[in-house]
Amino acid sequence: MAASTSAQDNLYREAAATYGAAMERVARAYEADPESRRDLLQDIHIGLWRSLEGFNGLCSLRTWVYRVAHNVAVSHVSRERRHRSQVLVGLEEIELLPDAKEGEGASQRRDTLARLLGLIQALKPPDRQVMFAYLEGMDAAEIGEITGLSAVNVATKVHRIKRVLARRFEEGERDGK
Amino acid sequence: MANESSPSDMRNVWQSQRTEGIHMSMEEIRGRARKFQKRIHWRNGREYVAALAVSVYFGFELWRAHGLMTQVGFGLLIAGLAYMVWQLHRRGSARDVPAELGLANGVDFYRRELARQRDLVRSAWSWYIAPVVPGLLLVTAGFARTNPRHVQHPVLSMCLFDAFAAVFFLLIWQLNRSGARRLQKRIDELDALQGLR
Repeated sequence: MAASTSAQDNLYREAAATYGAAMERVARAYEADPESRRDLLQDIHIGLWRSLEGFNGLCSLRTWVYRVAHNVAVSHVSRERRHRSQVLVGLEEIELLPDAKEGEGASQRRDTLARLLGLIQALKPPDRQVMFAYLEGMDAAEIGEITGLSAVNVATKVHRIKRVLARRFEEGERDGK
Repeated sequence: MANESSPSDMRNVWQSQRTEGIHMSMEEIRGRARKFQKRIHWRNGREYVAALAVSVYFGFELWRAHGLMTQVGFGLLIAGLAYMVWQLHRRGSARDVPAELGLANGVDFYRRELARQRDLVRSAWSWYIAPVVPGLLLVTAGFARTNPRHVQHPVLSMCLFDAFAAVFFLLIWQLNRSGARRLQKRIDELDALQGLR
């Protein structure tokens, strides 16, 4: 019992040290409100520690961490949506939505990040997970392992994401000139 | 200023965003996990205490009631409440499987979450509304039958009360049904997505 707790603690420490920043980015992708985001991030950490008791090594620790983070965040969004009226959309519809832009004077990098967050937070969970994983630099196989989608499906979605991003940010640049 | 519109630049912006960093010691993690469990127990406990308080009140009314019909009605209301609490306990305690968070991929987990919510709202009438209906009907019918002197039109009062309760229950049932339909639509979308696996 003590040995398994210690193994669980060690795994958690390793995961938190290696993927702490990634978990924070997951929380940002799901929650715009800073106060609720802090709560969500803590829930992700607690969920991760509790889940590691059942870590079976069948997937990498990285995949496990991302799955836990997304699954805790999805539960959070489901809970919060009962109190908020935000409508989530798919990648197909996001191209039709008006773009959210930052005010004048914001640096381009900050502006890009704010718009990326605006885009990702408006997506339905499966599309959000694919876009997040794409931005994290994962390949199609890894994205499939985390989301449960086939390689073909992931490829289609990534293609669509690239198109959405290109259109959105090209338009943004044109408007900014 | 360099343009940051290519996919790799956007990935770069995303990955290099400033993070605050969260540092939780093992004691803090364990403490919060315990708190989390306590919060669930406390939430369930509140429901049990509320049900117990209402049952005590119904028990008092049962003791004081005149007429077998009203007494049986209050007895059924207590039994209905007990059934509701048992269902709450059963449904609440079946959920907590922490390893599931890492074992299930995103689509499967989300689908299960939606299906759980759908089943909850779809079946709510059968364990949250229906158990109290027979008791309520008997109590109001018993009330009308004993014909208390301080109420001028006991039968009319009973009919009005039952009609109001029926409209209220129907409204809840209808809301739950449309909620379940919305959830089912989202599940169907996921199934269509999984069909491409």
